[in-house]
Amino acid sequence: MDLVQLQRQLVDYRTSLYHEGFLDEQFTQLKELQDENNPDFVVEVVSLFFEDSERLLNELSKALEQQVIDFKRIDAHVHQFKGSSSSIGAQRVQKLCIVFRNFCEAQNVEGCLKCLQQVKHEYSIVKTKLESMFQLERQILNAGGSVPV
Amino acid sequence: MVLKMAETSPPTSCASSPIVASPMGTPLRKVLNRISGLASSCRNKTGYRGRCRRIFHRDVEQEEFQYASARCLSSYYSVFVARLAIMIMLAILIALLTVLTWHFTKMYTTKSLNTLAFGLRYELLQRPILRMWGILNSTSEITTAQVKLSEYVMRRYSKPSTQAELVELYQMMKDMTWALFASRKALNAITINYKNGFVQAFHRDHKNNSTFYIYSDLANYSISGTESPGNKMLSMRQGWNDQFIRGNVSAIWYREPLDPISGEKTGKALPIPPDEVINIAGPSQVPDGVASWHVAVSKYTDSPLLSAALPVWDSSNTSIVAVVGVTTALFSVGQLMKELVEVHSGYIYLTSHEGYLLATSTNAPLLKNTTNGTKLMMAVDSEDRVIRMGAQWLQKAYGNKFPPGDVVHVEKANLGGQHYYIDSFFLNLKRLPMVGVIIIPRKYIMGKIDERSLKTLIILISASVGILVIGCVCILILTNGVSKEMKLRAELISHLNARRRAEASSNYKSQFLANMSHELRTPMAAVIGLLDILICDDHLTNEQYAMVTQIRKCSTALLRLLNNILDLSKVESGKLVFEEAEFDLGRELEGLVDMFSVQCMNHNVETVLDLSDDIPKLVRGDSARVVQVFANLISNSIKFTTSGHIILRGWCENPAVSSDSVKCSPDQKKPLSALKTKLKHHGNHMKKAGKRDKKIVLWFEVDDTGSGIDPSKWESVFESFEQADPSTTRTHGGTGLGLCIVRTLVNKMGGEIKVVRKNGPGTLIRLFLLLTTPADGTEQHGRMDFAKHGVAVILALHGSMGRLIMSKWLSRNGVPALEASEWNELTQILHELFHPRTRNCGFDDHYSRGEPLRSRIHSLQDMRNPVYIVLVDLGLLDLSTDIWKEQLNFLDNFSGRVKFAWMLNHDTSNAVKIELRRKGHVLMVNKPLYKAKMLHILEAVIKERHAEFHKRSPNGNRGGSHECVEIDSTHFETCSSDDSEISEKGTVKSNTANCQTPKNCLVELTRLGSEVNILRAEEDECNAWPKLHDTEDAKCENSNSPEQHYVSSSTKDEDKSYTSKAANGEKSLEGLRILLAEDTPVLQRVATIMLEKMGATVIAVGDGLQAVDALNCELVGKEHRRDRMQTDICGSPPYDLILMDCQMPKMDGYEATKAIRKSEAGMGWHIPIVALTAHAMSSDEAKCLEVGMDAYLTKPIDYKFMVSTILSLTKRSA
Repeated sequence: MDLVQLQRQLVDYRTSLYHEGFLDEQFTQLKELQDENNPDFVVEVVSLFFEDSERLLNELSKALEQQVIDFKRIDAHVHQFKGSSSSIGAQRVQKLCIVFRNFCEAQNVEGCLKCLQQVKHEYSIVKTKLESMFQLERQILNAGGSVPV
Repeated sequence: MVLKMAETSPPTSCASSPIVASPMGTPLRKVLNRISGLASSCRNKTGYRGRCRRIFHRDVEQEEFQYASARCLSSYYSVFVARLAIMIMLAILIALLTVLTWHFTKMYTTKSLNTLAFGLRYELLQRPILRMWGILNSTSEITTAQVKLSEYVMRRYSKPSTQAELVELYQMMKDMTWALFASRKALNAITINYKNGFVQAFHRDHKNNSTFYIYSDLANYSISGTESPGNKMLSMRQGWNDQFIRGNVSAIWYREPLDPISGEKTGKALPIPPDEVINIAGPSQVPDGVASWHVAVSKYTDSPLLSAALPVWDSSNTSIVAVVGVTTALFSVGQLMKELVEVHSGYIYLTSHEGYLLATSTNAPLLKNTTNGTKLMMAVDSEDRVIRMGAQWLQKAYGNKFPPGDVVHVEKANLGGQHYYIDSFFLNLKRLPMVGVIIIPRKYIMGKIDERSLKTLIILISASVGILVIGCVCILILTNGVSKEMKLRAELISHLNARRRAEASSNYKSQFLANMSHELRTPMAAVIGLLDILICDDHLTNEQYAMVTQIRKCSTALLRLLNNILDLSKVESGKLVFEEAEFDLGRELEGLVDMFSVQCMNHNVETVLDLSDDIPKLVRGDSARVVQVFANLISNSIKFTTSGHIILRGWCENPAVSSDSVKCSPDQKKPLSALKTKLKHHGNHMKKAGKRDKKIVLWFEVDDTGSGIDPSKWESVFESFEQADPSTTRTHGGTGLGLCIVRTLVNKMGGEIKVVRKNGPGTLIRLFLLLTTPADGTEQHGRMDFAKHGVAVILALHGSMGRLIMSKWLSRNGVPALEASEWNELTQILHELFHPRTRNCGFDDHYSRGEPLRSRIHSLQDMRNPVYIVLVDLGLLDLSTDIWKEQLNFLDNFSGRVKFAWMLNHDTSNAVKIELRRKGHVLMVNKPLYKAKMLHILEAVIKERHAEFHKRSPNGNRGGSHECVEIDSTHFETCSSDDSEISEKGTVKSNTANCQTPKNCLVELTRLGSEVNILRAEEDECNAWPKLHDTEDAKCENSNSPEQHYVSSSTKDEDKSYTSKAANGEKSLEGLRILLAEDTPVLQRVATIMLEKMGATVIAVGDGLQAVDALNCELVGKEHRRDRMQTDICGSPPYDLILMDCQMPKMDGYEATKAIRKSEAGMGWHIPIVALTAHAMSSDEAKCLEVGMDAYLTKPIDYKFMVSTILSLTKRSA
């Protein structure tokens, strides 16, 4: 595939991610931090995020399946999830986390379950999007081009 | 309706009405319920709906609505029931009163009247009966007398054998009888019927008042007839009857009129038929030989006659020879009755036992004419209506069986529609029993009573009804008032409720805002952070750079606004909790003034801190909040002040003096108390925390010369979003929240704030705070007694206000002070002091105040061996050209005799500083000048002098200009950090603890100095002052030139320079070791990269426990790892800084910090710990600071802010 086309595609894709609210400035800041010392910084952080998120989501699902729900623990998890998602700029997830925490505070089990589903959903979307973006970047790099800023 | 009910119900249910609430209440209440329910629902429909729309929460309102209506309903019930009960009770009361009154009045009267009436009736009846008795008695007496006389006469002429004898006997009898007859006028007739049938009788006709003698024809009677034998007595007697007489029809009777008085014969005797005129009592009337009575009638009289008959026995008393009859008219009885009735009204009649009328009080005839002649009339047949009816009534009531004694008393007999009293008495005469009846109309006796009692009853009833009506109306009015009040109260309650809800909802909003703080701040922080990154970008065009800078400014403003709102909402939602910690109020305020003076200097505004000496050094309270109050006030003042000054005054309320007189009267402020050494002071000031506290009132004033506030706005400027002049927002910016927050905070601290009138332009805001202070207040004023040391100060300063205040303070404390506002003045003073003979007279012309000045100078010269301190504002020098160097040289001339202290500006260039140092001017302070700085200068000079004395004494009296002053540099460190750092108490304490005795200090100092000298050699080679570590600079400088005193109070300035450096230089954190404790891998990674990019060495750990462990490990291997010499020298921590996430598994940031601080306690250092928190609330901040953290950063991390924070912390602690 044409390199230029790929690059344009990447830029468009990234812009759409910002426009659709999947990512925010924090991601930009993340990208700023990436330099020649840490060439894979963003990918590294994002994959860290994926790992962490999957663990947290599992924990959350488990915690919500319990007979007696420990809302404090859930809250702590969601808090963490919120922190990590905001750090990579996955703002949709972050926003959902805020809602989630409100339900948690109100000890609303149904709301929590609903939110968990939504969070999972959003998380999977953002994961796919980011992965496809990285895919594109890798393709560009493999093709010998540079990733456009 | 209620009224009606109350009226109708009591008569029927009088007994049950007091407990009306339960039995009567239920049906009644239902009705009431319905009515009131209807009414309230109507009202609600109209009244509440309008309100409903306005309120945001419709369901809440609905609830309230129901609540209110239910309340209304219940109040209606209670009002209705109360009304009803009161009315019913009233009705019962009145009815009872009525009945009782009526009863008593009526019953007693009736009873007594009845008694009286009975007596009357009895009397009335008794009199005719007595008369009757009298008649009877007289009749019987006459009869008896007649009989006796007859017997006597007859015995004289017993057995008349001849006709002549017989005639003589009859004549005798006639005379005798006449005598008797004449003696009794009332007699009607006396008859004598002889055995042989001869009849003699006297008759008196009362009508025509004529008297007759009636006799039978004697010729027809023979004596033989009398010869009937005795044994034939029975048969004789049988034959001696009426028929015997009647049978004697052939006999001729004669009637002879007589003179009624004399008895003389007045006319011819006329023959009359027998029995025609009168009844002649015959033997038939005395069948058994005893006296007999009967009532007879005569055709000559219209009243019945009472006749009595007695036999006349012969001498042997065996046979009856004649029968005497006496007849009396009952006329007089009737007459008496009539008289009685005339007086007393009523009816009286007398009947025989059989019921025949004997006498009545009326004129009705007593006899009736029948074909058989006149007969007696029965009472029931009487022509008089009343009598007839009375008799009939009696007959009907009792029949013929009268009660025993035949006495009847009837009080209320209804006769023909009228009521009568009927009384009867029985008169038991032998052979003639009689009954007397009296009928009196009730009207006669009781008529008035009945009438009156009826009237009384009517009056009573109408009166009670009237009272009832009035009472009910009164109750209605009363209860109306009550119910109105109740309604009002209910309304009030519902209003209160509504207000409470509104407040609650406003609280919810505040709470919501407070909770949202993080959410709000995070994007802002991100925006600002990203903008900072963008600004760093080299590829921006100038235009873009300008725009981004603008955006950055706007964002900062927005963030500030956000913070303000959050602060306010937090205060309002009650989440703000003041911490209670001891802090040095003076130092806090000095720091504040330091900070603002930088801002002011650009505005050409002088910032002055004027704290009275009686303000306790240590107070308990929330230092951050107190500082915030003043920061807001001062920044507000700065905003509106373009020239002049801003003064922050403070004094402690003296209970003896009112606040107004204390104000602006610095002369009254307490003089300094006893001398205390500074060391002792420092040693003590942390010990007494939290002992016996006492409340004090601290007054403050913020006085500026700005645009001022219109008096009408003095109250409203403290409202939210309020500015004195709306247009100012454009010119000055700001949110209008600052003063609101200030007031809220001040109020929460138990104080008040208001704008006060001031003379001249500008605004004077006065407030007081209620703070507690540790009770050991006497040590608060431990200051030097400068007068003893013979110190004099020349203040050569620009700002007139600050200079004035300072000189006043100095002179109050026994230090003479001279003032100079510009260079020429200063030189003049110096000339006056030291070259009095060579002084140029021209100066006197130039300065109008030359004379007083000179006198003061002379007074200074009188002092014994004074030490002059000249405080020179660097601004006095002409820095724009090179003249300042000459000026310095000029001053050098005096360097032997005076000590110079320099006031630096925050932007004073390094070259000037270096030059000053080079010249040996080591006392430098940053603007602005305030008490504490002055104190330091004075103390430093005095100490220096002492040291000089000590040195001089062993070496003899050298007395030169050369000075070699030892510096207590450790002590100086303390001072500087005291000045500059607010929250560094830990360091201060440890430092002061280290140098408790001057001797130790000196020893340590020399060691330090020598070692640092070595270090300096190396660094000198680099030929550049390491810019990032100013404190190192300071140290080097100290060691370099032992005379130097560098009093630094410009953390802020340094911060500023650092931030700019951070923004410019990439590797601003070069060489720093930073421990990062963060559990979220993503964040950990991001932060690590950020820090590493700036050149810091980052050690990342996953939780608090690991952080503590890492620190301890480092401690063990510290000696080997550390490569920086000065840390080895004074024992430095393994990390320069710790970034600590607050929420972590295993051990959270707070716990970890506490643990670290604990372990630090023995080490003598203080690692700055910066909290990383996702909560943006100030309460979290407070918590962070409470556990011992030094600063906090909010996540996501703001690049620039992080760097500046780290730099400010590491520089200080190194």
